[in-house]
Formats: sequence, C-alpha cells, structure tokens
Amino acid sequence: MPWTPQQLNVIDAVKITGGVACTIGLYSILYKETKLFRFFEHVFLGLAAGYMVVAMYKESLYPQWIQRMTGQMDDAGNVTQPAMFLYVVLLPIGLLGYTVFSRKHNWMSRIPIGIILGLWAGQQLLNYWDTASPGIYSSMQPIIPTTWSSFVEPDKFGLTPDQIKALNQQIYPSQAINNLIFVIAILSSLSYFIYSFDTKNRAMSTFNRIGRWTLMIGFGAIFGSTVMARFALVIDRMYYIWVEWIQALQKAFGQ
Amino acid sequence: MIKEKLLNIDRRILYGLLILVTVIPLRCDQKLNNITDDYSNAFYEAVSNIPEGKTVFIESDWTTSTRGENSGHLEALLRILMAKKTKFAIFSVGDAQAPGVFRGVLLRLMEERKTLGLPAYQPFEDYVDLGYFANAEGTLQAIGGDVRKVFEKKSIRDAEGKQRSAFDSPVLSNVKSVGDVPMYIVVTASNTIDRAIERLSAKTTLACMCTGVIGPSALPYFQSGQLKGVAIGLKGVFDIEYLMANGLNLETKESVKWSKQPDKTAQPITVGKTLDRGNRYFLSFMCAILLLIATVVTGNVMMFVARAQSKPQGDEA
Repeated sequence: MPWTPQQLNVIDAVKITGGVACTIGLYSILYKETKLFRFFEHVFLGLAAGYMVVAMYKESLYPQWIQRMTGQMDDAGNVTQPAMFLYVVLLPIGLLGYTVFSRKHNWMSRIPIGIILGLWAGQQLLNYWDTASPGIYSSMQPIIPTTWSSFVEPDKFGLTPDQIKALNQQIYPSQAINNLIFVIAILSSLSYFIYSFDTKNRAMSTFNRIGRWTLMIGFGAIFGSTVMARFALVIDRMYYIWVEWIQALQKAFGQ
Repeated sequence: MIKEKLLNIDRRILYGLLILVTVIPLRCDQKLNNITDDYSNAFYEAVSNIPEGKTVFIESDWTTSTRGENSGHLEALLRILMAKKTKFAIFSVGDAQAPGVFRGVLLRLMEERKTLGLPAYQPFEDYVDLGYFANAEGTLQAIGGDVRKVFEKKSIRDAEGKQRSAFDSPVLSNVKSVGDVPMYIVVTASNTIDRAIERLSAKTTLACMCTGVIGPSALPYFQSGQLKGVAIGLKGVFDIEYLMANGLNLETKESVKWSKQPDKTAQPITVGKTLDRGNRYFLSFMCAILLLIATVVTGNVMMFVARAQSKPQGDEA
C-alpha cells in the first residue's frame, strides 16, 4: 500500500530530526568534547565511508566497468551494448596497487602508479600551455595613458556600441595607474621566487620585499574568502535547524 | 576589570553570540539591496543569453560539506535554465557522492515548480542526469576529444521507463562535440575548475560557480577571458539571485547597472522563484562578519591597552 502524503511528511520530519540531532551533536564540540560528540563523530565518519563505497560502486565501477565488461540488454532482452571482455585486464593492473602491503612484492605497486603518472604527464604537457598562455598574455597590461581628457573612465550609459568601442580602446590615467600596480605586483611576486642568483643588491631586495608584501596581501584575501566559506556553512546549518526542521515538523504534525 | 573580562572572553560566549547573530536574521524575510560584482554580472549575462534550443553542460562537483554555498549556486543556475527552457546535461567528475547531492537539488526544484503550478521539467526530454565519472583529468580530456564516446554508453531511462542511450535523448541528440555546447558550467568546491580550464577552455565557453575558498584561484581565469563569468561563494549566490530578480543594464529603475559593460543586457527571470537562499543567508552573513570585526578590534585594542599599562616606567624614556 502506498504511503499517504501525511505519512510521507512524518517520514520527512523524522529524517530531518535525525539530521538536526547529528548537527547539534557535532557542534557540541564548541562547548567541550563530550561522549555525545564522540558518538556523532563516529556516526559521521562511518556513514561517510560507507556511503563512499556504495557511491563508488553504483556511480563508477558498475556502470563504467562491470556493465561495459558484461554488456547490456534492454527490457525486451535485445542486446543494446555488446560485452567487452577486455575490460577484465584492468582488474589485475588495479590489484597490483595492493601489493604495497607486501615487503617482497611492493615494487609491483609502482606499475599502476606509473601508468597513471605517465598518462597524466603526457596530457599535462599539452594542457599546460592552454592554461597558462592566456593568463600570461592578459598580464601584459598597458601602463601609459593614451588620453588625458578625463582621469577616470567616463560613464558609457546611453552611448552607441561604436562610441563604447572607441572609449574601450582608450587607456585613462586611472586605468594606467591600476595596471602599473598590477604589473609591479606580478613582477615583484615572481622576483621573490628567484633563487638562482644572489639578490643582495639593494634595489632587488626592495623589489623582493614588495613581492613578499603582495603575496601576504594575496594570502590574506584567500584567508578572508575561507572565513566567508566557513560562515556560509554555519549559516546553512542554522537554516537547517531553525527553518527547515521547524517547517517539516509543522507539516507533519499540524500548526 | 572590564579590560580583563574583554581580554578573556570565554569562547563559548562567542560561539553563542555567533549562533544568535546568524539565527535571528534568518527569520527575517527582508529583501536586501546589493552592488553586484563584475564577474557575477558577466556570469548572469552569459547564462541569460544562451541561444535557444542549445544544450548546456553542468559539471556539479560538490557535496554536502559546501551546501551553504554550492546549493544556492546550483539552485539559481537551474532556475535560470528552467525559466528559459534551456536543456541541460548534468554530471560530476569530482566526487562519487556529488550525483546524490545534485539529485537532491533537482528533486527540491521539481517540487517547487509543482507547488508554483509550473510545468514539470522532464528527465530525458528536458535534462539528462549522467551520474559520476571517475578520474577528472581523463574524463575531461575525453570530453574534449570525443564527447559522444564518453557519454554514449551511459544508459538512462526515458519517460516510459525504458533504458535508452543518453544520445537518444533530445537533450544530447544535437551534440556532436563539446564545441556544440554553448556553455560548460562548473559548480565546484574543489580544483576541478583547473582541470576543466586545462582541457576544455580552448574548445568551448566555460563559466564557474565556486566556493569562497576556490574563488581567488578562479578569478585570474576570468581576468584572462578563459572563464566567461564566475559566481563566488555566498556573495555569488546573492549576486545571481539579485540579477535574476532585477535584470542587468535595463531601462528599469531596479535594474543593475554594469558601468564597465553598458552594452551587455540581460532580462530578469519572471517565472518561479528568484530571491531565495542567497538573499536569506546574506543578512546573517553580514551580521556574522560584523561580529568577527567587533571581536577582532576589541581583542586588539584591549591587548594594546594591557601592553601599554604593563610597560615598566623606565622604558618610556
């Protein structure tokens, strides 16, 4: 017999209540480490590990290896995809990875690692240039203004596309200053990583120091973004407890 | 006395304050104003102007650990695509758990459309769920080389429940190579955006929705033109929702004005929800940031005061 909508709402409420209990249990570490926290920590790790194994089998191993090896049939029994038994060759290669646990045979574990690294290195040679070259090209910014008609870029609203295009081709003094800061930041950061020769020269060491400061500012910005991400996580959990859970309870057990 | 207390605030009080300042704003249904970022404007403009009848690829590489940011990203993106009736193929190369998570978002949005009385978005007809592909590097390399070889053996169920090849679906039937896809959007919490840039940026147009942690490393790709647009973290979610509600560079009073690109326009979304998770979370986020600034300033001021007071008299000379 199928579930009634009210029964489904109750099931939903029970599921979300379980999630809320886990969330509160894990956040109890903020008060102090208790047995409650330990319990939920183990529940979380166990579930994550178990889920990962099932997800890996269902999403990857079964459709992309087992099904291809054994072939597929439609509901009427017609073969839709013939079996490709050669896929079985992947099994012994993969299993060689486990020889890492044997002192005598662990050299064999390098075979699958070597295959993966070899494939990756071959691809990477081609891909590196595709990734880096547009970045290098876009770093070459003009630092000399082409017009002094205005210090900052004028407002472009209400102009025709041709007029906008003409304005976009100009470098205004404020843009030139911005670009100069950008170019100094890039060159000084790169110079910080010059280890091949001595940089005791005063000008060079000053330039290196600017690079170090630039890198520190960059790392600070990354840290700020990380804090933003952590806050987003807390806010989402609070939303789950104080909004989604309460809504689910109201739906299941009336107003 | 007060100085001593301020220097030694129990961390549990701070956590309690953090919970308070995040929970109270969540209960307010306040519509906020926003100044959107250039890269968010670029993202919305690009997604809004995808040609009709084309299929978009979505690579969703996040799990529940970044739900606060990526869930809002994916919801906003899918709402735009569904409002514009754009077909999409969704899959993951980053994590075996990711398909389970994006399926949850899809289910939630289907439920929402049902509640709002909007037509259902049908699997196989309007979108295809291709699941997870292990080995991001290899899969993306293969997608760049021959997308049909990667997806053709993926069997999915059609509207009647029959097993069919993914390429029998109207979603993928016109896709011969990745170049036929007008936009490849990566929703990620990890460096899979780097893998996509390496292997696909020369072959199709890429855009990215990423967490605040990944944002700084994705921005140089926007600067160089390898990414058409980027939505970063919670601010990115709020920006996209705000643009969905108000449009970009339109004549209306509410419309967002993008002074750097006044010739690029995008219409607001008029079907279904627009402001949701981003708008809800952002007030809490601002309050949390204020608390952080207040505690850092208080701690530092009190530390300097304590240091000045404990300095021996002779040192001043």
